Amino acid sequence: MVSKSISFALLLLVALLAAAPAPAAEAPTRTEYVQQLEGICKPDALATQRTMKGARAEVQEERLDAAAVKFAKATGIYGGTVEAMAAVPRPGADLEKLGKWFTYLKRQVTNLRQITAELRAEHAIKAQRLTARFIHNGNLANNVVLAFGFNYCSFKFSRYG
Amino acid sequence: MSVRGTPRRLWAAAFAFLLAAAVTAVLAGSARGERAQHGDLILSLDGGLSPLALPRDHPAPVSLRLSGGLQTTDETPVPRVTRVELGLPGQGVLDVRGLPTCLPRQLRNTTPAGSLKACRSALVGHGKIDAEVRLPNQEPFRIKADLRAFNSRIDGRKAIILHAFSPDPPSVIVLPFVLRLHAGRFKTRLIANLPPSLGPWPHFTHFEVHLFRRYRYRGRERSYIRASCPIPKKFSAGFFSFAHASFLLDDGREIGTGIARSCRARN
Repeated sequence: MVSKSISFALLLLVALLAAAPAPAAEAPTRTEYVQQLEGICKPDALATQRTMKGARAEVQEERLDAAAVKFAKATGIYGGTVEAMAAVPRPGADLEKLGKWFTYLKRQVTNLRQITAELRAEHAIKAQRLTARFIHNGNLANNVVLAFGFNYCSFKFSRYG
Repeated sequence: MSVRGTPRRLWAAAFAFLLAAAVTAVLAGSARGERAQHGDLILSLDGGLSPLALPRDHPAPVSLRLSGGLQTTDETPVPRVTRVELGLPGQGVLDVRGLPTCLPRQLRNTTPAGSLKACRSALVGHGKIDAEVRLPNQEPFRIKADLRAFNSRIDGRKAIILHAFSPDPPSVIVLPFVLRLHAGRFKTRLIANLPPSLGPWPHFTHFEVHLFRRYRYRGRERSYIRASCPIPKKFSAGFFSFAHASFLLDDGREIGTGIARSCRARN
């Protein structure tokens, strides 16, 4: 009788455990989050730097179509980076701040895409205006996550040629 | 053709004005300075050239402003800086031909008036510096000092000597920045080593320096700093990495940040 009740209790426990919702992926601490994101950003930032090498000289020589090719590649890399970053669970206490940051980052992808299009169309002045916006928006993005101490995930103009 | 009785040309002009204002606002926004955080330390850097409109193909006289600072996130003391390196881009030219020089020993223990008496002809700029002083058994306090920059030559190299004077408490420092040329984006580097003998000054929290000097040499008007805006004809403005500052701290950390600025083509 006792063993029957123990088996029943065990079964009930197993059933309860099985019925319980799977625990949500634990939110990382800020340090863990930064480490994880830096791991994503580092190879992409270095790849961007390699891709954009010489873009400044091409703009200087008015070879805007050649510069556009480099910007297109950089846009692809950056778009992929932001997507991968967005998939990482965020620390609970920083959700609002990071939400704002990602708004800026997505705007950066749009800016890069537009610069590429304007360069391809040989619209130098429009590309120039968008570049001003790109730099300004990048600085705003950096200010939002200043306390995180990002390196590769922060905006650095020097990476773009 | 008009819109509600207003000539289209006028609307176009108004639109162009608004667009120009928007672009100016964007550029002005970025001119507030950039910040970077490394651990508990925040480093800020700002600066620019004046005028913004420069010739595309030859350098013209400009003034250069550079400011920056260090602060901690938790109000703990700012660490001692042992070395400062300021990088400036290649399109700037530092011209010292015919400009008198001043030696550090001429400025030691001088008041601002005394420094000018000794080296006025070598004056190339001015500024301000704030430092944090923490002495044992005393409340920490800040000192603010006026800076003067003088053209110099140290061990055969171009140099700038900063002379800082604080009236309260009275103190003077003389800090030489030696100029070195490097390959890469920041071709001109101004480097200063800050020995422990400088006392509380290396715990600086903010600095601001303006470099500008026009002078005549052999009948020709010259400028201490000249710069161009080497952009193609298709563009009216360009963007460049303007400056990079890096600080070596006494705990072995090295922190740095860079800023990008724009210039406009004058012709």
